[in-house]
Amino acid sequence: MREEAVRVSRRRLLKTAIQAGVILAAPQIIPSSALGKDGAVAPSERIVMGAIGVGGRGSYVLSCFLQESDIQCVAVCDIQARRREAAKKAADNKNGNQDCTTYRDLRELLARTDIDAVLIATGPNWHATAATMAAKAGKDVYCEKPCTKNIAQSLALADVFRRTARIFQAGTQRRSLPNFMYAIDLARTGKLGKLHTVHAHPGGFTPGMSGWLPAEAEPRKEDVDWDMFLGPAAYRPYNRRLLDGFNFEKGGGLVGGGCLEWGSHCVDLCQWANDSDDTAPIEYEPVGNQLHALYPNGVKLVMRNDGWLPMGSCPVRFEGETGWVETGDDAETAASSAALIAGRRTKIPGYPANFHVRNFLDCVKTRSKPRADAGAACYAHIACHAANVALYLKRKVKYDPKTNEFINDDEANRLRSEAFREPWRL
Amino acid sequence: MLAIRHIARAAALMAVVACAATAGRAYAAADDKEAKLITTLQTGTNPEKAIACKNLAIYGTKTAVPVLAALLPDEKLSSWARIALENIPDPVADEALRDAVGKVQGNLLIGVINSIGQRRSVVAVDALTQKLKDTDTGVATAAAEAMGHIGGKAASAALEQFLPDSPAAVRPSVAYGCVLSAERYLADGNRAESIRLYDFVRKAQVPRQRIQEATRGAILARGAEGIPLLVEQLRSPNMAMFAVGVRTAREMQGPQVADAIVAELATASPDRQGLLIITLADRGDGNALPAVLAATKSGPTSVRIVAAGALERIGNVSCVAVLLDTATDADAELAQAAKTTLARLRGKEIDAELLRRLSKSSGKTLAVLIDLAERRKIDGALAAIAQCVENADPAVRSTAVESLGAIGEPQQVADLVKLLAKIQDAKDRTDIEKALVAICSRCGAVCTPHLLPLAKSTDPALRTTASRTLACCGGPDALSAVTALVDDKDESVQDAAVRTLSTWPNRWPDDTAVTQPLLALAKSGKKPQYQVLALRGYLQFVQGAKKLPADQRLAKIVDALPLITRPEEKRLAISVLSAVGTAGSLQPLIAFAGDSAVADEACAAIVDLASKNNQGLSKEQRQKALQTVIEKAKSDATKKKAEGILQAIK
Repeated sequence: MREEAVRVSRRRLLKTAIQAGVILAAPQIIPSSALGKDGAVAPSERIVMGAIGVGGRGSYVLSCFLQESDIQCVAVCDIQARRREAAKKAADNKNGNQDCTTYRDLRELLARTDIDAVLIATGPNWHATAATMAAKAGKDVYCEKPCTKNIAQSLALADVFRRTARIFQAGTQRRSLPNFMYAIDLARTGKLGKLHTVHAHPGGFTPGMSGWLPAEAEPRKEDVDWDMFLGPAAYRPYNRRLLDGFNFEKGGGLVGGGCLEWGSHCVDLCQWANDSDDTAPIEYEPVGNQLHALYPNGVKLVMRNDGWLPMGSCPVRFEGETGWVETGDDAETAASSAALIAGRRTKIPGYPANFHVRNFLDCVKTRSKPRADAGAACYAHIACHAANVALYLKRKVKYDPKTNEFINDDEANRLRSEAFREPWRL
Repeated sequence: MLAIRHIARAAALMAVVACAATAGRAYAAADDKEAKLITTLQTGTNPEKAIACKNLAIYGTKTAVPVLAALLPDEKLSSWARIALENIPDPVADEALRDAVGKVQGNLLIGVINSIGQRRSVVAVDALTQKLKDTDTGVATAAAEAMGHIGGKAASAALEQFLPDSPAAVRPSVAYGCVLSAERYLADGNRAESIRLYDFVRKAQVPRQRIQEATRGAILARGAEGIPLLVEQLRSPNMAMFAVGVRTAREMQGPQVADAIVAELATASPDRQGLLIITLADRGDGNALPAVLAATKSGPTSVRIVAAGALERIGNVSCVAVLLDTATDADAELAQAAKTTLARLRGKEIDAELLRRLSKSSGKTLAVLIDLAERRKIDGALAAIAQCVENADPAVRSTAVESLGAIGEPQQVADLVKLLAKIQDAKDRTDIEKALVAICSRCGAVCTPHLLPLAKSTDPALRTTASRTLACCGGPDALSAVTALVDDKDESVQDAAVRTLSTWPNRWPDDTAVTQPLLALAKSGKKPQYQVLALRGYLQFVQGAKKLPADQRLAKIVDALPLITRPEEKRLAISVLSAVGTAGSLQPLIAFAGDSAVADEACAAIVDLASKNNQGLSKEQRQKALQTVIEKAKSDATKKKAEGILQAIK
């Protein structure tokens, strides 16, 4: 299932948030004047950005960036010509000129020294590689999810952003939406009693490995650059059916996408609810049509596809000794008692990325840790990858988040990483 | 068209996945997985070899290495072979990759070098050192970074020696290799060598980003002794180096770091003061509290806003007075920052302090405290807030009522109902009704008994309020009370009751009973508009009752059919019949098709129904229905569709 966010104007979102007395976007300690939210922002104060990968999802997230007054998008990059041109048009409209430059090769865009930050929405095959290249080139990065293809990439991504002191925000925008934040707050502040189980809806456990299809006539490089599309993925000939960056090589390896597409959102939220942004579950076991995992603190993570209240896609549920809460993409929240959900709150359905983008831009300015920084994204993705390993091996696996190895399990350990096609590396 | 393309694509991918999964299972079941995989590498097609490589990444041993190494010069299979070679633990794989350094060129060589770096193969350091000077920039940069990953004396010495004279295109990677080596030294406990290497890079002629990385590393490697170097960055006129400073400060341990940052606050520009305060907040430095509290009290407004926000993470009960004072400041943004911090500051002692002040405050401060008590859901605050609903200050009254609505319980419904009877001010009444709606929507039928007195009030306005708020409770008692209000002596109350019934909430099965009064109203409502409203409400209710079994939904529509005379309601009925989508829907739809005003809508629904072969319709029924469409439909497209389906059925 594709994730198609509703396009909502920033003005409307802010109005909704303000009406409810909640401004979500920034760590609330930054004056809006300093963030350039009100009125014109001097060019010298703007964050100069580029966008890499501007297909369906990329163009949507770019539109969220373009709604911010303190950014200037000067470059767009895509392997498909029509996408490049559409994104340039959008950026030029915002800039009021024709200066946005198009690129087919992300290396040329990253070589520009005037660019501070990049949006990466290439498709999961490229995410970690492009993000790493950007960090090494001194750019801050907003990267769509899934951010990595395996456990090794997850760790390397966190390492490179620590090493380079660059800002990284994973595109897990539910971390910046009020209903999810509220539910997580209930879990983290003990309002549910001692937390014992967190539930995530991964939206399918089926591996989605992208294979080697029969060769077809390759389009002109100017129209579709197949070599760049493949990027770090092992070679296979051109076949237009693989030309779906959203799904190509998701999850990588033999293990495939599995629970990664939605898990990178809902498992990530469970990680946050359990205060586990710096660790991952230590046991993973397929149980019937579910996947059960166990955190070091004894909290159980249940990944399941059914039995959810009708609250839209990507639901999560947190259960403690005295209560539970469940919420999903329609922004409704249900709880074990009316008192738990009492209070004025903003409801923003349609999982827009605007607030998450704003949080990223604020952190670019303050150098604070964004809500979905590389460390948090690393372990949320590791939880999904390790779950996929258990699903692939059809048995329980044990993982040590300190050594980042499966315990006494050569098969599982060899599923942690995969070589890149030449010349790409992290 | 788009959907078809997606389905085709998904089907194709699934086929490949199925093949791969089948292959994976087959290999897993075999005793000699590796032997079979090697045979595939020698005799299979390229796609088969590719999957075999993936499996050898899991099951391969040194036996597979020569066969895999033989694929390294193959442009199509080299990357697949390295997937296996990178993961085979045996040192033979290291040797094979090292040997390949002298055998392949260009991108294939870069790939091999990358794999060597990934494996951290010390045996390849000499070979990689030679490649630092390769004329192919890609090869040289790959070698530099791989050597950085390998680390150790030989690799780092070679990188260090090469850095000053390295070509401009290679130098960033050589410097990156040095940074990686320094990191590795620190991880291995060789702090002195790590610091020396970091310092070497940050003083070298390398790109800004490498200097920033080396500076960060040099500060962190020094620990507490790195504070002077940190301060140097915090004072740097170069904003990028200042940014490295505040970012690195967040990674450092120890109270001295906060002391150093606080010391910088005194001389920094307001912009930098704000960033330094945010850094202190991110670090959670308790010893920075006095400085941040002082910055909240006075100074440039932009810094005060930042400081007030920072207290959320480092503040405690001692900050309440300052924050409360700030929360009533004339600057709205500053006041909001303080209020948000007060709403989020953790701790029962904060709750207690706010509650204590609530009972003693007045005016603007009292309104802020009420709002905070609600947002924090302070235990015991409801009673205190309830006392404020009759406050002389309209702003306080309004805030109190709104807060009660947000967190109130059934008891507050009773209190607010009593209050309603006492007051006449229109705004107050509106506020209270909103609060009642909020509580009743949240708590449900348990609130109904508290609202029933309103339905018996002598004041028609209150009976109207009763009608609207009872609907939020739902359940049989509320329904009965609102139904009774349809016959109220006051016409405005009747109007409200009819409108309420026609939009009754659908919380099946409790509320299905509303169809009875609605149907009765549709048949014999006092006014034509009541009949129309009731009929539309009835149909909309049935449409929304998706959990009601299809036969029951259909029966309810059939009950109303005699009353449906206007095209507007007919269209609605067609929509509901289409949604129910059972065999029984067909007859009424055929009847609607006879009305030229709605024939097209009915025909479209019939086509939709008859196109499916699982609705309990016989072939003859479907044919007859489609024939009706061909005769009655005005739309050529609908007719054509019907003809196509008819042809397919035949």
